[in-house]
Amino acid sequence: MTVLGVAIGVAAVVSTLLASRAAVASMTGDVASIAGAARLEVTRPGGIAMADIELLRPVCDEALLVPIIEGTALVPEMGELVRILGVDLLVDSQARSIELSAPDLQAARDELLFGNGAAMASSLAGQLSLQPGDDLELVVRSRKTSLEVVATFEPERFGSAWERVLLVDVAVAQELLARTGRIDRIELVPRGAAATQDELQALAARTAAQLPEGYRVAPSSARRDEGTRMVRALEFNLTALAGVSVLVGIVLVATTLATSIVQRRAQIALLRSLGASRAQLTGAVLIEAATIGLVGGVVGVLLGWVGASAAVGSVSTTVSTIAEGVIPGRINMDLRWALLGIALGLLAAMLAAILPLREALRTPPLQGLRSEHAESVTRRSFRSRLFALALLLGAAIVFVNLPPLEDRPIWAMMAVLCLLGTLLVLSGPLIDLFSGIRPSFAQTGVGVPLRLAQAALEAGRTRAAWAAAAVGVAVALAVSMTTMVGSFRQSVVDWTNQAMPSDLFLRPLAADSGGLAGRIDPEVVKIAREQIGSENVDPFYQSKAYFRNSPILLAGAAFAVVAREGGVPFLDGRPSTVAFGAALESGEVVVNEPFAQRFDVERGDLLELETPGGSIHRRVGGIYRDYSGHTGRVVLDLADFFSFYPDEGPQSVSIFVDKDVASARSALAGALAGRFEVELLDNREVRAEVLTVFERTFGVTIALQLISSVVAAIAVVAVLTALIHERRRELAVVRVLGGSRRQLFGLVLGEALLLGLAGATGGLIIGLSAGYVLVAVVNLQSFGWTLQFLMPTSLWGTLLSVIPACLLAGIFPAFLALRATPRESLHASS
Amino acid sequence: MHLAKLIRPLRNSLVPMLLAMAALATPSDAPAEWRQITPGLTLEFPRDHGAHRDTQTEWWYLTGQLESADGRRFGFQFTIFRRGLAAGPINDDSSPLRARQVLAGHFALTDVASGRTHFVERLRRMGSPLASAADDDLDLTVENWSLRRSEEDRLELRASDLAAGIGLQLDLVPTKPLVLHGKDGYSAKGSQPGNASAYSSWTRLASSGTIRIGNETLAVNGEAWFDHEFGTSVLEPGVVGWDWFGLQLADGSDLMLFVLRREDGIAPKTAAGTLVTADGKVQALAGEDFSVEAKSTWLSPQSGASYPASWSISVPSADLAFEVVPVVADCELRSAGSTDVVYWEGPVELRELSTRSGEQAPSQSTRLGRGYAELTGYAGTMQGRF
Repeated sequence: MTVLGVAIGVAAVVSTLLASRAAVASMTGDVASIAGAARLEVTRPGGIAMADIELLRPVCDEALLVPIIEGTALVPEMGELVRILGVDLLVDSQARSIELSAPDLQAARDELLFGNGAAMASSLAGQLSLQPGDDLELVVRSRKTSLEVVATFEPERFGSAWERVLLVDVAVAQELLARTGRIDRIELVPRGAAATQDELQALAARTAAQLPEGYRVAPSSARRDEGTRMVRALEFNLTALAGVSVLVGIVLVATTLATSIVQRRAQIALLRSLGASRAQLTGAVLIEAATIGLVGGVVGVLLGWVGASAAVGSVSTTVSTIAEGVIPGRINMDLRWALLGIALGLLAAMLAAILPLREALRTPPLQGLRSEHAESVTRRSFRSRLFALALLLGAAIVFVNLPPLEDRPIWAMMAVLCLLGTLLVLSGPLIDLFSGIRPSFAQTGVGVPLRLAQAALEAGRTRAAWAAAAVGVAVALAVSMTTMVGSFRQSVVDWTNQAMPSDLFLRPLAADSGGLAGRIDPEVVKIAREQIGSENVDPFYQSKAYFRNSPILLAGAAFAVVAREGGVPFLDGRPSTVAFGAALESGEVVVNEPFAQRFDVERGDLLELETPGGSIHRRVGGIYRDYSGHTGRVVLDLADFFSFYPDEGPQSVSIFVDKDVASARSALAGALAGRFEVELLDNREVRAEVLTVFERTFGVTIALQLISSVVAAIAVVAVLTALIHERRRELAVVRVLGGSRRQLFGLVLGEALLLGLAGATGGLIIGLSAGYVLVAVVNLQSFGWTLQFLMPTSLWGTLLSVIPACLLAGIFPAFLALRATPRESLHASS
Repeated sequence: MHLAKLIRPLRNSLVPMLLAMAALATPSDAPAEWRQITPGLTLEFPRDHGAHRDTQTEWWYLTGQLESADGRRFGFQFTIFRRGLAAGPINDDSSPLRARQVLAGHFALTDVASGRTHFVERLRRMGSPLASAADDDLDLTVENWSLRRSEEDRLELRASDLAAGIGLQLDLVPTKPLVLHGKDGYSAKGSQPGNASAYSSWTRLASSGTIRIGNETLAVNGEAWFDHEFGTSVLEPGVVGWDWFGLQLADGSDLMLFVLRREDGIAPKTAAGTLVTADGKVQALAGEDFSVEAKSTWLSPQSGASYPASWSISVPSADLAFEVVPVVADCELRSAGSTDVVYWEGPVELRELSTRSGEQAPSQSTRLGRGYAELTGYAGTMQGRF
């Protein structure tokens, strides 16, 4: 059971890491492998105007320019997204070494250049049962379309980004993604010998000098770093939460080892009398710990692998809220992660062995033989406990007030650890507290076993404290996570109700993993406007821009429509109709809370934004709550937006209908049918959908919450079993002295109840505190969201379920106690 | 198979060029859609200096020999090839990047002192802002290379490649009027009427500018030769390549000769030439009006191809007879990145015919002129490519 505890902890960490890595890898698009020989990239928010490419002619002296267009498409047959990579097939062989195979290369190149040909990984072709010459059905920009598969290639390694790539000529990509007149980026491949870093920097500077404002020249790796930076906070949070389950595992191992050592005190004392050295004892304890750690680690890695596949969808969804076009990656279990998992198991077990080891080494040979009294650990003085408590709480307060480290709320997580650490200090006094309570029924029939249980716990206080700490940590974890998820959920529900007032909502088809298939064709907006009226249609556009040299999202929305119909709630409490109306009138922008948090921006501040139209200056008209992502977003009125960005189609369209929603919906659906593949949802469906996405996004967190509860139960069972085993003699004496089987059962259950109460009380207090830190500090630091701190309604349920869980956990040890015959027990322990 | 290999058949079909004007009939594009050059050609300038997108193949060729103030000698070749991959205009809703026509560039610089030839190439689709060819005048760009005509027929050439360490900036001024080869520019390349090109030249241009080689930039002067050909045709069966000469004689006259080579010898109708006198008078030469006889060979250590290394050339009607020898032996150009053709193109000198006893070595003989030679089909046949 201890092994299982370690295994679950390790599995949680391994699966979280694997899943988030897969998501991160797919988001950054395995930039390195796709970039090939390219060393620098020229980009501009909104894409590079074809006419501007001419400006780069002087750079051709020293570098090959490779144009790239990238986008996503949905493969309905798979329900998954693929990446469309448009390259210049005439020059690309100098940048990438993709080996293509086709039955007829001449026909293949004709179709690639002049038709609608595409090349794909042979594994993807196999998965879709496609042969060269077959058509691949796709949904791109909400339009049904198809490409002819004319050639296949073998990705350099299994699971690489290339496995989900449709390679097409740059012209085909332009047509497919409706980006005629623009390309997404230009890769620079230095001519001649490999360029040094200095030469690259010089080339970058010369390239930038050719281009107008708004263009960026950066190493190819910068895009990967940018992506990694964007998900860094998310990955850290998930890993840290998973790490807490290892902490529970550590407490569990420590409890078990401590119990087993205390149980074998007589044996240890005898060994010591027979000449066993401290080193030998240390070795024995460590071997035991290592065995638990190793087996737990291996089982954990295997469980983690399985878990990662389940978690990847959830993590990808989360990541896709950060960046467009995320294609869920494959789970790659390489040796590194397996070793990391096993090492984690070992380390946890070794750490857990430290305190029990001290206990074993303290066992003096003679004293151990003389006394069978199990309790030997000196009680810490009240003062030292108080000191430790003050130290931990003080540290937690300091940590909470420290800023995040590179977007990671490391200090806030340390504060959570400190809070959990107080449970180790608090559990002793809590056991004392619950052992000392003399309820009025203490003298009655029910009271006797309870009183005995109190006495037993008091006697085995150290082990009881360990067990209570284990339960406490698990409860605290469960409570804090429940608080965080609950607070978040309620905030999102409230936000959704206010932010999504539209009667109908149009969006691209979603992949099974939740990723959306690109944008909506502008034609759809046109049809919607014709059908419903321009004044009732609010398309939401989004593109990239830079603020203070960091990538942000620049969005366009119909302010006039929102000013009339309402929308996202504002931090300053103004109704959104008022806020948008004022912004529209004064030509201001509104920004989301993550943006304001990250850049420390307030209403009234003047922003300088880098757009395709160069730098623009806009004043902040308001800050709105936004739980739809943690990337900073600046929203402009549509007219303003289109003066910088081309109409590539919106991300979504909100539609307001005066009366009969159902008939408006079916009329619009009818007008779009056959040509476009979009989802048209009504208000209720949208809200339900938001919550579904929420649940999926927080799937990992919810799983961790469950895991911590399971570990808590395991902790109680393990500790009680060990305690019962240790006190066979005492229990036998109770039986011999006339204690009934019922009373004995009650005694054991009483112990379980008291342990549960002590652990749950500590866990509740600390869990709520840790939950507050997660909600108010970690979320704000990681994502820039202020959430309402809500005691979830299920909180009391969580707490109340701990007691029955502890009682339930006590049943097995209770039966164990009953099964042993008093004679055997007395004999065995004499 | 690498992408490069996928592109190879593409290159093979887009490879044009060089001299003979016979178009490859790739299965993908019907030759009938491309305009063929037929007798009765009328050329109008400056319009016909520009691109003729309705024909499948076209090139603008500059070769010449230059000398720096301190006497260092260089040979240069700069060519922009245009190749149509698919006939007809693109659809209105198609991307302008649809690669229906491509431009390739070859730039070679021969340093006579070191005996080395540096060669770089470019390839871009038309429609891309990195490659353009005006339809109404000579105005070509491929990446950072360009060739333009300004008023009074002055040409401006810019080509450079930092990695290869070569660059050229030249202003070129014709010293003779434009020459139309064959009949009014109709230059037959085979027995069929469509197997022909429209061919015009400035046979002598006073050239001045700078050369960059390695870390040096040198002011240079010299003389160059400009060719422009376009058409849609194929090499006739059995033709494997050609030898071409553009020679500037010391007496002021210029001589262009080409010979299409067959596996079984020279076909009678596939050799022709043009003699331009010092005062600009043009005389078309038929195959029987001259003789070109290879005297020695040079073996390329890279491709293993064996090229002629000196020739005896005579034009009896003009009382011309001389020996042509390469200035630098290794002028083999291997264009893996654009046209995928291996050929020899380099500076040559005209010398008096050596006596049988060899008492007068070429290096000591009187220099009768200079020029450029182009030899194709020695490292694999050109058949199937044109």
